[in-house]
Amino acid sequence: MNLRQQLGSGLSMAMVLASAFAFWKLFSIVTMSNSPIVVVLSGSMEPAFQRGDVLFLWNREEYVGVGDVVVYKLQEKDIPIVHRVVREHRVVEKDKKTKKKVQKQLLLTKGDNNERDDLPLYAYGQQYLERKRDILGRVFGYVPLVGYVTILITENVYFKYALMALLGLSALVQDE
Amino acid sequence: MFSLFQRAQTVSNYVLTLVMTMAAIISVSWLIQLHFSEHGSIPAHISVNKAVNTMKYSRNFGGRPNSGKENVRLAFDVTTDLSSLFNWNTKQVFVYLVGEYPGKKDEVSKVVFWDKIIPTKEDSILELTDVRSKYSVWDYYPNLHNKTATLKLEYNIQPHVGPLIWGTADAFTQLQFPEIL
Repeated sequence: MNLRQQLGSGLSMAMVLASAFAFWKLFSIVTMSNSPIVVVLSGSMEPAFQRGDVLFLWNREEYVGVGDVVVYKLQEKDIPIVHRVVREHRVVEKDKKTKKKVQKQLLLTKGDNNERDDLPLYAYGQQYLERKRDILGRVFGYVPLVGYVTILITENVYFKYALMALLGLSALVQDE
Repeated sequence: MFSLFQRAQTVSNYVLTLVMTMAAIISVSWLIQLHFSEHGSIPAHISVNKAVNTMKYSRNFGGRPNSGKENVRLAFDVTTDLSSLFNWNTKQVFVYLVGEYPGKKDEVSKVVFWDKIIPTKEDSILELTDVRSKYSVWDYYPNLHNKTATLKLEYNIQPHVGPLIWGTADAFTQLQFPEIL
């Protein structure tokens, strides 16, 4: 094994990563969502969505509708949440900075499997989600279970180490 | 040239392509079958028996200690037959009763009073009498009384694999929210 081969395999590895990244960004542009594909992490939408299911998001509409399943991210929490919209209010209010009247869509969400709405989840004093600020996208399609690998990697340390050990070992013992 | 890593990559690429192709085939054939089973014209009937309006000051009901919000609850009858929405790829149907009412100029609100998860075809014929609304409903603004809402029954079909589909049953009724009790 010489330097040329090593550089070559390094290059092809970089190629794989770069093309994955490019595809992700392409999806982002097409769907207009920051994270167009998400993996379900909680059971609050069961039996509709289970942990590990993969959801495809769409974010091109100006407003989302009642009954839509949306993914939202609260400002101070970093975890995206998949829940259903149970209330919408389209209101016209004066913007504090520009002093112009703007139409806002305010939303209340709820997990199908939860007893009540998401009010306790929101920040203290926050009554609604705002369409433009908080919503990552509307779920339009669904493939079950294939995202479970990511849950294994993030939540199970042993699985992560085993996977890394396997990759490292394969890099050491490969004979070309 | 065939390292363990490359082999694993080839296999995982192959599996991923296979899963995505299968998902596409399943969703297309499911959509075609649903189209022919007259989804989109669901017979239904809704009637409201009672509506109650109360002032609430709790944060859990949209209010604050010094400024209350009107909360409306309902008792209603609903009958519908959702069995045509079920076939081999339907995982569940989520059915919900929504009210839509206009606000000031260019403003509109849509709120859910009641919903139900229907997991199987056997449970898909609903004949409910005098059900109480699941949610106490309040508005963005303090008052709800004298606003007139149009109540409709809407549904969301969730597949085992594929796209989610939304629809509205063939029924509606008008309701004027009452004065505070």
